[in-house]
Amino acid sequence: MIYKVISKPEFRAFVDALVRANTSYGPRQVDTDRNGDPIYQFMPVSSADEIAFDYTVTTSSAKHLLMPFRGELSRFNFSDGDWKQQVDYETQPIVLIGLRPCDISAINILDEVMLKGPYPSPYYLARRKNTFIIGMDHLPLPDCFCKSMNRHTVNHGFSLFCSDIGDRYYLSINSAKAFSCLKEFRIDDPTDEDNCRLIERRKLIKHSFETNIEVSGLPVFLDIEFDSPIWQKWGDKCLSCGSCAMVCPTCYCYSVEEQFDLDLKGSRRESHLYSCNLVDFAQVAGGHNFRPRSGDRLKYRYYHHYRGFAANDNQQICVGCNRCGRTCLANINPKDVINDLRLERESCLTCVSTSPDKA
Amino acid sequence: MNHLGFELEKIKIGSFDFTCCEGCQLQLANRESHLPDFLALLDIRNFREISSERLDDYDIALVEGSITRSDEIRRLKSIREKAKVLVAFGTCACFGGVNALKNKFPQEETIRTVYKDKLVETMPAAKISDFVTVDYSIPGCPVSKKEVEEVVVGLVTRSLVTLPKYPVCVECKQRLNTCLFDLGEVCLGPISRAGCDAVCPSGKTVCLGCRGPAEGVNYDSFTELVKEKGLSTEEMNEKLAFYNGFTDYLNHEG
Amino acid sequence: MPDMRFNIPGQSLNREPFIDKIPDFQKKCEVMITDRGYKCKITNIVPLTSQEKLFLLRIVDPMERALFTFRPGQFLMLEVPGYGEAPISISSSSSNQEFIELCIRKAGHVTSAMFEARQGAMVSIRGPFGTSFPMEAMRGHNVLMVAGGLGIAPIRAPLFWIGNHRDWYKDVRMLYGAKEPSQLLFNYQFDEWKKVSDVNLMTIVEHPDDSWKGRSGMITALFDEFTIDPDNTFAIVCGPPVMFKFVCSHLDRLGIPMNRMFVSLERRMHCGMGKCCRCMVGSTFTCLDGPVFDYWSVMNLKEAI
Repeated sequence: MIYKVISKPEFRAFVDALVRANTSYGPRQVDTDRNGDPIYQFMPVSSADEIAFDYTVTTSSAKHLLMPFRGELSRFNFSDGDWKQQVDYETQPIVLIGLRPCDISAINILDEVMLKGPYPSPYYLARRKNTFIIGMDHLPLPDCFCKSMNRHTVNHGFSLFCSDIGDRYYLSINSAKAFSCLKEFRIDDPTDEDNCRLIERRKLIKHSFETNIEVSGLPVFLDIEFDSPIWQKWGDKCLSCGSCAMVCPTCYCYSVEEQFDLDLKGSRRESHLYSCNLVDFAQVAGGHNFRPRSGDRLKYRYYHHYRGFAANDNQQICVGCNRCGRTCLANINPKDVINDLRLERESCLTCVSTSPDKA
Repeated sequence: MNHLGFELEKIKIGSFDFTCCEGCQLQLANRESHLPDFLALLDIRNFREISSERLDDYDIALVEGSITRSDEIRRLKSIREKAKVLVAFGTCACFGGVNALKNKFPQEETIRTVYKDKLVETMPAAKISDFVTVDYSIPGCPVSKKEVEEVVVGLVTRSLVTLPKYPVCVECKQRLNTCLFDLGEVCLGPISRAGCDAVCPSGKTVCLGCRGPAEGVNYDSFTELVKEKGLSTEEMNEKLAFYNGFTDYLNHEG
Repeated sequence: MPDMRFNIPGQSLNREPFIDKIPDFQKKCEVMITDRGYKCKITNIVPLTSQEKLFLLRIVDPMERALFTFRPGQFLMLEVPGYGEAPISISSSSSNQEFIELCIRKAGHVTSAMFEARQGAMVSIRGPFGTSFPMEAMRGHNVLMVAGGLGIAPIRAPLFWIGNHRDWYKDVRMLYGAKEPSQLLFNYQFDEWKKVSDVNLMTIVEHPDDSWKGRSGMITALFDEFTIDPDNTFAIVCGPPVMFKFVCSHLDRLGIPMNRMFVSLERRMHCGMGKCCRCMVGSTFTCLDGPVFDYWSVMNLKEAI
């Protein structure tokens, strides 16, 4: 890692040059909501002017740029009673601009999931290696809880990370390509004052969080609460619409489907991002559904996020961006669900018996 | 399928319309770039929009439109007898569609409004499954050509084609649309069956559920949500009744 | 203006991550690239019932055929090009390098396509995936196999293994139950199993018809007819979840340690590689950590039964 500082106009010039030379995605305002607040999404950008550098949060994460909602896995070409399979990992390089630390952490988690284990995903690897990421820090929104998940800072997984220190950006450069591109622009070594301002900035961010979730011991807690009635209570609210999983930066569950070409001369196998909240997620051939109740499916998503699965060392995969909470029409959000779960147990009368020393 | 050891045959298809706008059948002639491949799968026996042939031997019958007259019932039943597979084609055939809006008014009033003093036989608009067994349903107002292609390919290749069970929200989020609820609208996306690629919400028009309900819909929670957004029960019911796809729920409420 | 473009050619990635990363396949990573399957020809189709058929598959490429080895209990992803993939447990002897046998019930999309396929059809397989029955650990012990319905399909692999290594094991018993007599699969092989493999085979049906002369009732009824040495027995149980729940809790009462009972779970795997999460049971992947679990692990798994 190399640390440099760059003035904001010069940074803009750098981004502009990068964006003009590559297929790039950055935060753009796409709408204004009914309260007059801007709505942002990671969208294709072709110049720095199109990028909302001061954006608050995007509705959807940048996940789909690394794990497309629908991605081709392989093709079959039929001929003369036989077929040929074609597997293609080729991908176009892309530049992602303006990712928050939580978004970059999410990509690091996807790296673990997709690239570790006995069968690393070549599709993901090809995309990941061809992705240039510029991260930017921000002051948390009132409902961000990435600090609780310890994802409010990130020290790897990006090409370049910018911390806002007033009139300049403090750059953490993490890739040779980023450095060689930046060399063409005016960058300086950080002064003592810059270093102090960076520390101040980090302190400010750290102390600006308004939402906290107690996640210590949560994996064991979730195991104990597997049969809690709380799940069905929230499940009764859940619309099973899958919106949470679509906007989530780490929800990666998918289905594999195959389709004939219309001319019947071939077929393609595709992965479709899916959501464990959707009604047929755990349905098997013959029609049996292992999770017919919405509460079971909702629970499953919380298990995946806050308990973690064996495949990635039982690591919690939630990064605390609260995109799912904001997008949920039924007002289900991780903070309330987890607090409810803890509260139910803590207020349970059999648990809160008089302590021995008082008796 | 050659590589599986059997030959594929074109499907003998007939297309029929009842009370409808014939928009769904017209939809079949869309997506011109795919049309030659699409037509290559079909042996068209009876299809007014595409061909002048009028033959009676078909395996697959696409039936568009709802049923509003007694002679339509007879015609529908005779189609059913001839067809091996009967497909309810489009929202009107699947649910009754917009035609069923008239069911809320007294019959005389509807006739007078439209036809003045002319004598017209009509009855409440009904979906075709009220009269005959339906093998496949392809809902949509109009149907999605892409889905029709998939179903036709499925019939030709003898593979099962199923409609998505999940709601429109999934596809809407995948298109990175702004949620219409965030813009102050009430959209039926969360309870309506996907497969349309969220075409209406993508054009900033609320979903009215032309594809009917998704599976395992949580109506209670949705009703709660709608009330919270300030919509009265009547307004909500009006939305739900638009394509007549949510009758089970409405009857259950009523 | 500097050259701001960057690119890492996708082709160079094709092999990169796989070197030394697939422990189960050792050198096989050279051929087996996650989503590329082995092309197979269906050499024979044996109709078993109206709903079940046995397919004999032969891997077309001789090198791939030589490299394809599996252990009893593992499954593979069967691809019917155009129709899709489905997880199928391998039903043949692991020492048979020439043919792979798959016993398939017509249940869904892919299996229905398989039923349409004719002899000589070209399909594809990926795998083998998942865990297997610990045949070596059972050496020197009695083996009790319990199969219910289509559960016979995965259990044939350990059965063949035992036939090939009969002197490794002491008393081998197999209980096989089905709903109706006509649903007892592979009855043409019963004599071979009894005589050649020296397996004590007991069958039972739930709903006997007039021609049925054997036992009738639930499979657990068979336990009354013989004694089990709990300290010296391994159990393999395959069947519908209700069945193995009853069978395993019965064996548990008899005193067989939970870690000596093995069950094979079934879920709808989509990727087979521990990625898509469709086959999760609790926090465990059926495709990686299963399909073969010891009963102790299944007991601890939420939602398993």
